[in-house]
Amino acid sequence: MEKKEQKRHQHKHSGPKADKKNRKKEQGTEPERDERKRNPRAFSVQSAVRMAKTFHRTQDIKTKKHHIPLVDRTPLEPPPVVVVVMGPPKVGKSTLIRCLIKNYTRQKLSDICGPVTIVSGKKRRLTFIECNNDINSMIDLAKVADLVLMLIDASFGFEMETFEFLNICQVHGFPRVMGVLTHLDTFKNNKTLSKTKKRLKHRFWTEVYQGAKLFYLSGMVYGEYQTQEVKNLGRFISVMKFRPLVWRTSHPYVVADRMEDLTDPEDIRLNPKCDRTVSLYGYLRGTFLKNKCQVHIPGVGDFSVADVSFLPDPCPLPEVIKKRALNVKERLLYAPMAGVGGLVYDKDAVYIDMPSGHGSQQQEEVRPTTELVQSLIGTQATLDAKMAASKVSLFTGTAALTPEEVQENEKQNPMESREWDERAQRERRRAVFADEDDDDDDDDDGDGEQESDEEEDEEEDDEEDEDEEGVTTLKKHDKTAAETAAPPVKKQKCEVPMEMPAFADSDDELEKSEEDESEEDESEEEEENEENEEMEEGEPAKKSSGPDSGLCSEDDDEDEEEDSDTDEDGDGTVKSKMSSKHPEEENIDTDDAEMGYETAGALRWKEDLAQKATEAYLRHQLAAPNLRKLVYGTVAEKEEDDSNDEEELGGLFKVNRPEKSKKVRADAMDCSRFQPDNSHDWDQEEMLASIRDCFVTGKWEEDKDAATLLKEDEELYGDFEDLETGQVHKAKTGNKDQAEGGNDDEINGDDDDDEEEEAPQVKLDDDEVQKNKRLEKKRRLKERFDAQYDDGDATYFDDLKEEMQKQAELNRQEFEDVDDEIRVQYEGFRPGMYVRVEIPALPCEFVTNFDPHYPIILGGLGPSEGNVGYLQMRLKKHRWHNRILKTRDPLILSLGWRRFQTIPLYYIEDHNGRHRLLKYTPEHMHCGATIWGPITPQGTGFLAVQTVGGIKASFRIAATGVVLDLDKSVTIVKKLKLIGYPYKIFKNTSFIQGMFNTVLEVAKFEGASIRTVSGIKGQIKKALRTPPGAFRATFEDRLLMSDIVFLRSWYPASVPQLYNPVTSLLMPVGQKETWAGMRTLGQLKHDLGIRNKPNQDSLYKPVVRQVRHFNPLHIPKELQKALPFKNKPKQMQAKGKTPRDLQRPAVVREPHEKKVAALLDALSSVYAYKNKKARAEQHAKHKEFLKQKEKQEAERQKRMKEERKKTYRAMGQKEKKKLKSSLKGASKDN
Amino acid sequence: RALVAPSLFEGCNCFRQRLVLSTLSGKRVKIRNIRSKDDNPGLRDFEASFIRLLDKVTNGTRIEINQTGTVLFYQPGLLYGGSVEHECNVQRSIGYYLEALLMLAPFMKTPLRAVLKGVTNDPTDPSVDLLKVTAIPLMKKFGIDGDGLEIKVLKRGMAPAGGGEVLFTCPVRRSMKPVHLTEPGKIKRIRGTAFSVRVSPQMANRIVDSARSILNKFIPDIYIYTDHMKGPCFDPTDSNLYFSSLFQGGCVDSTNQSLSLLYMTLGQQDVSKTLLGPLSPYTVEFLRHIRDFFQIMFKIEQQKPGEDEQKGGEKVLMTCVGAGYSNINKTIK
Repeated sequence: MEKKEQKRHQHKHSGPKADKKNRKKEQGTEPERDERKRNPRAFSVQSAVRMAKTFHRTQDIKTKKHHIPLVDRTPLEPPPVVVVVMGPPKVGKSTLIRCLIKNYTRQKLSDICGPVTIVSGKKRRLTFIECNNDINSMIDLAKVADLVLMLIDASFGFEMETFEFLNICQVHGFPRVMGVLTHLDTFKNNKTLSKTKKRLKHRFWTEVYQGAKLFYLSGMVYGEYQTQEVKNLGRFISVMKFRPLVWRTSHPYVVADRMEDLTDPEDIRLNPKCDRTVSLYGYLRGTFLKNKCQVHIPGVGDFSVADVSFLPDPCPLPEVIKKRALNVKERLLYAPMAGVGGLVYDKDAVYIDMPSGHGSQQQEEVRPTTELVQSLIGTQATLDAKMAASKVSLFTGTAALTPEEVQENEKQNPMESREWDERAQRERRRAVFADEDDDDDDDDDGDGEQESDEEEDEEEDDEEDEDEEGVTTLKKHDKTAAETAAPPVKKQKCEVPMEMPAFADSDDELEKSEEDESEEDESEEEEENEENEEMEEGEPAKKSSGPDSGLCSEDDDEDEEEDSDTDEDGDGTVKSKMSSKHPEEENIDTDDAEMGYETAGALRWKEDLAQKATEAYLRHQLAAPNLRKLVYGTVAEKEEDDSNDEEELGGLFKVNRPEKSKKVRADAMDCSRFQPDNSHDWDQEEMLASIRDCFVTGKWEEDKDAATLLKEDEELYGDFEDLETGQVHKAKTGNKDQAEGGNDDEINGDDDDDEEEEAPQVKLDDDEVQKNKRLEKKRRLKERFDAQYDDGDATYFDDLKEEMQKQAELNRQEFEDVDDEIRVQYEGFRPGMYVRVEIPALPCEFVTNFDPHYPIILGGLGPSEGNVGYLQMRLKKHRWHNRILKTRDPLILSLGWRRFQTIPLYYIEDHNGRHRLLKYTPEHMHCGATIWGPITPQGTGFLAVQTVGGIKASFRIAATGVVLDLDKSVTIVKKLKLIGYPYKIFKNTSFIQGMFNTVLEVAKFEGASIRTVSGIKGQIKKALRTPPGAFRATFEDRLLMSDIVFLRSWYPASVPQLYNPVTSLLMPVGQKETWAGMRTLGQLKHDLGIRNKPNQDSLYKPVVRQVRHFNPLHIPKELQKALPFKNKPKQMQAKGKTPRDLQRPAVVREPHEKKVAALLDALSSVYAYKNKKARAEQHAKHKEFLKQKEKQEAERQKRMKEERKKTYRAMGQKEKKKLKSSLKGASKDN
Repeated sequence: RALVAPSLFEGCNCFRQRLVLSTLSGKRVKIRNIRSKDDNPGLRDFEASFIRLLDKVTNGTRIEINQTGTVLFYQPGLLYGGSVEHECNVQRSIGYYLEALLMLAPFMKTPLRAVLKGVTNDPTDPSVDLLKVTAIPLMKKFGIDGDGLEIKVLKRGMAPAGGGEVLFTCPVRRSMKPVHLTEPGKIKRIRGTAFSVRVSPQMANRIVDSARSILNKFIPDIYIYTDHMKGPCFDPTDSNLYFSSLFQGGCVDSTNQSLSLLYMTLGQQDVSKTLLGPLSPYTVEFLRHIRDFFQIMFKIEQQKPGEDEQKGGEKVLMTCVGAGYSNINKTIK
């Protein structure tokens, strides 16, 4: 069909319309701007209500955009970003990681095994983790991922894993997700390619968010992705920003990138299945990690951390940030599980690195080292053996390892040089002097005591020869290292006390310096005196605290207490004082001694300290006690150790002294009231004067003093320049300064002027000071000004934001200048640190079945999150899961860090707040669920799967939800109907039986409302004596005997206490995804072949109808009388039995008679036959006749019709003629 | 896998601290050798009463005491709150119980409304009135405010007989705000109450007169309410006591040091600072227990008074980073 060409629009070139347009064009957009003025009515208020509504709405929208401001707690040096590369098998995950690593570091990593950390930029590090196709790994990694690279095979399309992973992410706080399409080169047709891309993109967008980034990796070149595309992807990763997620910002976690088994090999030899002590390494993320906290390792279980220590960063950011890009040496790569990293000698093991700085180094050279390291990691041999092996192979295998490189290694790894304090001494030593170690390897545990003795000796030696500090210590360490070659655990024991950073001494020094600033030398002398006194006191105390001190009478309790106190105070310093003279040296001395023994005697130091505190105050703080030591007690601890040494007799016996004072303290009065010392005499004037400034009448601080404030005002407004005359009027600044400096000398106003004149000659420093002061003042004024004028605009939100910002600032600054060793004690280990976490009592399977391809995560637990209780949750079956969930079927939940199997009970909340048990989850609705599980804060999301073992075709995530409430009891109830039957019915009262069994039961339910099935309500009144369990009840109507009475009641349901952590990491290698917990009822029945026995009543049977029997109709007599006769029931007498005499006798025939009868029979039958035949003939004849007759009749009718026709025609013609003639006649007449 | 072993303690010293911190941290506690060497070994009645009170405000607490009462095992439940009425033992005053409740109250599931009956004032424990005027404003600083927060003395009761009644209500909070109480401020006016029980009402007036005579040296704005059967004990020696507490005092008075430190510990993961007077022995013990239960250490800095400042004795600046504790008992709907 051809379309007709439409006529085009003709613009008007003249006329009023064209004029109007031209005018418009000339004026530009002016009239539009003036719309309001031109047409004010259109913009006037039509309806106040509507206006209010629109206003509200805009305000609502505005406020909805606000998020509650959070304090910014991101650390200054953040941990590496966790990039999880996820995807179904064979999509190219490893290839992508390899390409990205190569892109960033110019290094090739053949085997991606465990997390790989790299420095990607000046301010960013990345940790790549490959997620294998196991739902356990997927769940664990979704909890720690900052960025997910989701690989999708475009030639296949989305796979179920992708969606599962996205849903897992959604539940545990959504990390950044970036899709990467691979296998795009399989498309031959360009059109299908672009179509597929578009389809996948849109599907991906609906899952993540509109506009989510999707990358296309178009094809492979020599087994790698195209460089440019990888580079682009890398750039995207480097600039990506991340949002804080609630769970992660409130919990510390470590993605372990290295694992060492510290268990004593001897223990393993004796019992291969003994619990292991393991140290795990990794960057700390999330929030501060406290020492000795509880952690959960997903796939293993809950553990308490024995020790945490921070190590130098193995993959540090460049120290100086320059403008240019990173150089090759700064592009570090750290992947211990894959066998790449620094040569690190640290506590437990040697760690060998290929020089990562050399980008030019070839793969072949790297290979052997890697293998070596892997073999090192893999071996279960003793550390010594490992060391030996490592050393041998180190020198035999690696020819490439030139001395220069070794040198370089040393430089690269500060571990060696920096970590040179007491705590890590022995390991290092052993690593260095491996040759000597070999000799000592044979030493057994028996040497332990000897060793310790030796150590002590050495320590004492140490104390004695202090002169050559640094050098001697070095030597000494070497020596000890050479001598002691005990197995690791042994070392552990000795080391544990050393592990705590020696803060006391450093602190001490800090405070010393402070004191020095504040106090004069005199006070120091005093202090010394004091200490000397203590020392003197300490001596006798030590004597008295011999074995027989327990026999002391009670009256010298107090003395003893004091003694022991001073003992604790002084004892530590006693020895050192004896040996050395100079206070500084002594300091160092004590330091050394303390370092060795710090946490030992964990509890004993606590005793007496409170007492000590009071005493300290009684002494008016003359000695300026170190409060920190006093409270957290490190001095005492050390001293205690000393005394322990004395007590131990040959390491076998321990002198056990009953300590009176300690007991007294332990049972002291528990009272928070602090009775102030009564030494102050408040009647004296000077005492009163000492608190004068606490009152408003007292003196104020300089910046708040009224006089100063007045002067400030003068400065602000009094200082001006007369522009006309050029004269400068200055306020009396000198005055102010004076006021600031002296604060109380305002008398000398005259001198100030002089000073002002002298001002230019004052030194530069003073200028600086004054400048600062002026700046400070300005700032304050500005603040005040802002407060006055900006107040109108500042909303609550702005205030809150500002407050948060201030808090964040404070958080950053508070511990900024504190040494890390001390800082970690106050704050805990902060995120971004590389930490070593030691965990005792791990199951042996963790080590024996260790597989680096599975992520190991240490998830820190908050207080009381290690406990178990009932959790109430809101749950919804996932809409893609194809079955509803059944109450009491075990379910595997991923909640918080954990994965565990538990038995949920589903319920729904009725309108009255009752939690009614459900048998199944609703299909498309939320319901409640209660489980027995780990206490997790409310608001935490969870997801549920039915199995983690194997791969099913359907969508595995069964349900998702959130924790609502925690409790130690359950509130779910189940409906229970008790049924009874009436056995006696009066008017409205009935006696019911069968509902209860005893009188007592009835008594409990007296007054309860009951109901019949037909809807009659009633109430239980009283129990009857017999039959037991029967009761009297009243109803609102009369019951029938056939009624069933029921009592609706609620029975509390109990939640099974099953909490079974999924221990997938403990499964043997290769079977880690086959963990199977408790089976569901359905599975059990299926596996065991049990068929359900249905209720007999529920089965279908053939319907058999009974014949209905009706009773005879009964008509009352009165009615009968009134009825007409024919309707009256006939009074037919039943026929009586015929009497015997009336009964006719039976006839027996004679043979002749029989013959006659037979003949007659035959004759009559012949006759009958003849008759019948004749009748049939007759009948046929008659039929013929009738036919004939009918024919004749029809003939006759026909004839008659003809005849009638003829006559009628004739009559008609006659009539016609008659009519014609009459007409003619008439016309003639006319 | 078995739970972590309970923390072990010895003796009845710091009994309340241990149980309160255990309840808040969810860690189990075992206290041994409670007055084991005493002639009358085991827990006292007032301690038993305290345990009973804890049991009332919690759900699911497990308490095991051995036959002699020398060993106590305490497995904390979840703080429940609600309406609680408790007959406090007369051996200690209500302050003993109230102090612990103050620590627990903001972390309950439902707002606490506790009626404590017993002795309101006695010399050993901080009186109810003292807590009322000191603890409540302190709690407000931590963000526990609203009309639900109050301590009300309904009846006054003295030592042997008891019979006093105190109502304590407190709203629940999800988390504590970090505080910076470093400026003690100045005293503008002094208010107090003098009470007398079973003596002539004139006595109270005499008490007021003598107190005023001393305090007037500093500030004229003094008003002391006299209430027969009401108010904190205030006699001439007490005004001296007041001075010494001023001499020592920081931003928080000595009885509430531990309360403020606890709230700082249980705050969000931010830096909190408080200026305190010299640490009382009780507070020192408390600090140690905080470290045991929450692994939080305080940075303790001493502030020497300035040369011409006359503000009493030395002050201690306590700084800590909160544990990031959130009220896990509160229900979300």
